[in-house]
Amino acid sequence: MAKVMIVDDALFMRKMLSDILKKDGFEICAEAENGKDAVDKYQQLKPDVVTMDIVMPKINDIDGIGAVKEIIKNDPGAKIIMVSAMGQHSLVVEAIQAGAKDFITKPFQPSRVLEAINRILK
Amino acid sequence: MQDSYREIFLSESQEYLKNISNCLVKLESKPGDLNSLNEIFRCTHTLKGMSATMGFEKITQLSHLMEDLLDELRSQKRAVTSNIIDSLLSSTDILEQLIQDVRLKQDSNIDISLSLQGLKKFLSEEAIPPEEKITLSDIDSIRLNEAEQNRFKQAKEKGLNVFKLKLLIAEDCLMKEARAFLVLTHLKKIGELIQSVPAMEDLKKERRLEQPSISAIFSTKENQGTVLQVILNIPEIEEVSLTAAEMPPLEAQAKTQLQEPSAYIKKIQSMRIPVQRLDRIMNLMGELTIAKIQLVQMVESLKLASLDEISTTLDRLTSALQDEIMQTRLLPASYILDSFNRVVRDLSKKKNKEVDLEIIGSEIELDRIVLDEIGDPMVHLLRNAIDHGIETPEERIAKGKSPRGKISITVSRQKGQIYIEVADDGKGIDLNSVRRIALERGLLTELEAANLDEKKILELITLPGFSTAKEVSDVSGRGVGLDVVKIRVESLGGRLDFETKPQAGTRFLLTLPLTLAIIKAMLVKVQQETLAIPLMSIRETIKLRPDEIKRVQNFEVVKVRNEVIPILRMDRALGIAANAPLQSHKPEGSGLASDSQSHKPEGSGLASDSQSQTNKLIPLVIIEYEAKSLGLVVSKIIGEQDIVVKPLPSFVKKTKGIAGATILGNGRVALILDIMSLR
Repeated sequence: MAKVMIVDDALFMRKMLSDILKKDGFEICAEAENGKDAVDKYQQLKPDVVTMDIVMPKINDIDGIGAVKEIIKNDPGAKIIMVSAMGQHSLVVEAIQAGAKDFITKPFQPSRVLEAINRILK
Repeated sequence: MQDSYREIFLSESQEYLKNISNCLVKLESKPGDLNSLNEIFRCTHTLKGMSATMGFEKITQLSHLMEDLLDELRSQKRAVTSNIIDSLLSSTDILEQLIQDVRLKQDSNIDISLSLQGLKKFLSEEAIPPEEKITLSDIDSIRLNEAEQNRFKQAKEKGLNVFKLKLLIAEDCLMKEARAFLVLTHLKKIGELIQSVPAMEDLKKERRLEQPSISAIFSTKENQGTVLQVILNIPEIEEVSLTAAEMPPLEAQAKTQLQEPSAYIKKIQSMRIPVQRLDRIMNLMGELTIAKIQLVQMVESLKLASLDEISTTLDRLTSALQDEIMQTRLLPASYILDSFNRVVRDLSKKKNKEVDLEIIGSEIELDRIVLDEIGDPMVHLLRNAIDHGIETPEERIAKGKSPRGKISITVSRQKGQIYIEVADDGKGIDLNSVRRIALERGLLTELEAANLDEKKILELITLPGFSTAKEVSDVSGRGVGLDVVKIRVESLGGRLDFETKPQAGTRFLLTLPLTLAIIKAMLVKVQQETLAIPLMSIRETIKLRPDEIKRVQNFEVVKVRNEVIPILRMDRALGIAANAPLQSHKPEGSGLASDSQSHKPEGSGLASDSQSQTNKLIPLVIIEYEAKSLGLVVSKIIGEQDIVVKPLPSFVKKTKGIAGATILGNGRVALILDIMSLR
């Protein structure tokens, strides 16, 4: 089964996503709570899919979008799905330009999350 | 929703709220502080996401609007003003109440409409047009301009496929513009976009879509099937039509990329543990320590050489374990200090004073319970400083001071004790008015007033019923005075000291124990009972000849180095004299010292172990509380020891004179003396 890395600064969201994904048989190979962490763990674990919170604190000058850029730089084929709340249009656009393959909008439906992940894996 | 989510939601949202109001205060003093603004935005944003997921509509609504406003501040469409900060702060307060309701699992009847209106006032008008249901056939075809027509032709000359795309975005898609942008981005990856409505440039600028649709002409070397697959792989698309503008599709190969499987390691870096569980662990640790002491003593006394090594190891390990567990109870002082920025801001605003707060050492860790307990007293000290200490800007200028007052809180840690200093640079405490007020309130006599030294006069302000404020203000005053602060600090086993310099300010120093779970105590015997007296409140221990105890009116006192100290016979104070062999005593109530009327100074009733010690020296433990000393007559002084404090069950909680219990190395229970209730 595909390995997913969940990146979100809120434990709440990480747990929510991880519960949704685990239920459907995905393996959560890592959770990261900031962009820097995500970049490091991606290099180490090479997950199949990453869900990336778009608004996160900057650590070492890396926020959510910074992490997308960095991960794509290291692995141009990286499959990153942004997780955003409504009203974050410009950030989502920026993330897509940086190489994010899709986005999901909070509050999310479990079916929507699974759809996004399944499609990106095709 | 499951309770486990609720728990996380509650604890995380609390942190976010604290951050928000902190940063708001910072932002107000430094409107250009982008870091604070970003932090507020992030927290509000996350809070909104979490509450939406949990289905807490009011929280979602309010935080959403706050976020909108913050976004405008961030993109500099709007300047940060004091009014905006006020509105955001009061919205944060409402959020806090709403979250409180979630905590209490009650339906919230809090009205958020005022807050919403308050925020909306600042937001630029931007009506959201209602969206009508449209179909593919409603999408207009694109007309190409000359340059675009040229590109069309060139593409065909190169043998590329040129497609016409019409696409409807799902109605329930929450961010249609971003979705449209994503579709176009994916198309661009496999070809060249000749023209699209909406254009990518417009989508970048967040121009709202007139219709939830895309119409585009683009060229690609991929065939129709591949292109369709790419598009259909994008979620939230309702309908697509892809037609070739001309030419039969060329052969193309689909590419799939395989991820390399690699080893993975899963590590949990931190976890949340309920406080009650930590308390239980601490308690068990205490009992383990006691069992260990028993074992070690037994091994020693039985001279079991074979067990020597293991008992030493056990001793070392339990000590290490105890240290580790103690660590888990500690939290950085910032937990309470951070919220003081807001306190100082609000109070000084109310008082029309300008005050800067400086916090040093907020990273120092304190016992969670100590932190919980000192919050209120510290707020009171801040109130005092702002109310009575710091002058108005005009007064300050007249005195040649900077118009902005300054309060600094400094936390430091030395030798198992925590020091918290709260200092202001205000006008200081006026000794003469303290003297006058104390006279007025009958807290001291004329004679005392004339004879007391400055230090003693100053200490009067910590007496109950003392307040130098001319009238009760709604901020400080109102019955709660420094006396309460002092009592609270002392009940934690701490001390409150202070000093003041006229026109230069006042400095309060709180000395607190690092932890409340284990305290240093002096063990004494009162008759057959073992009693623990917190070492922090002990001034000294001495031994008296029975005839040194004198009577003044109805009280027994001793003279120690020219100081007259009242004494209290612990056996009677605690009512444990009964089962001891009393001889020369008249029957008497077991109350506190004041009723020891019929006691003979050289009475033998206070001797514990035998009847033959009439002339033996009497051990006296002198404790100090509220700047007064009191001598406790005990039967025997055993010595100092670290004890694990165990709270008493509720049915004996109100027992006067006893603060808790501990279990000693020999397995016996010792009561811990409550100094505060001996007044």
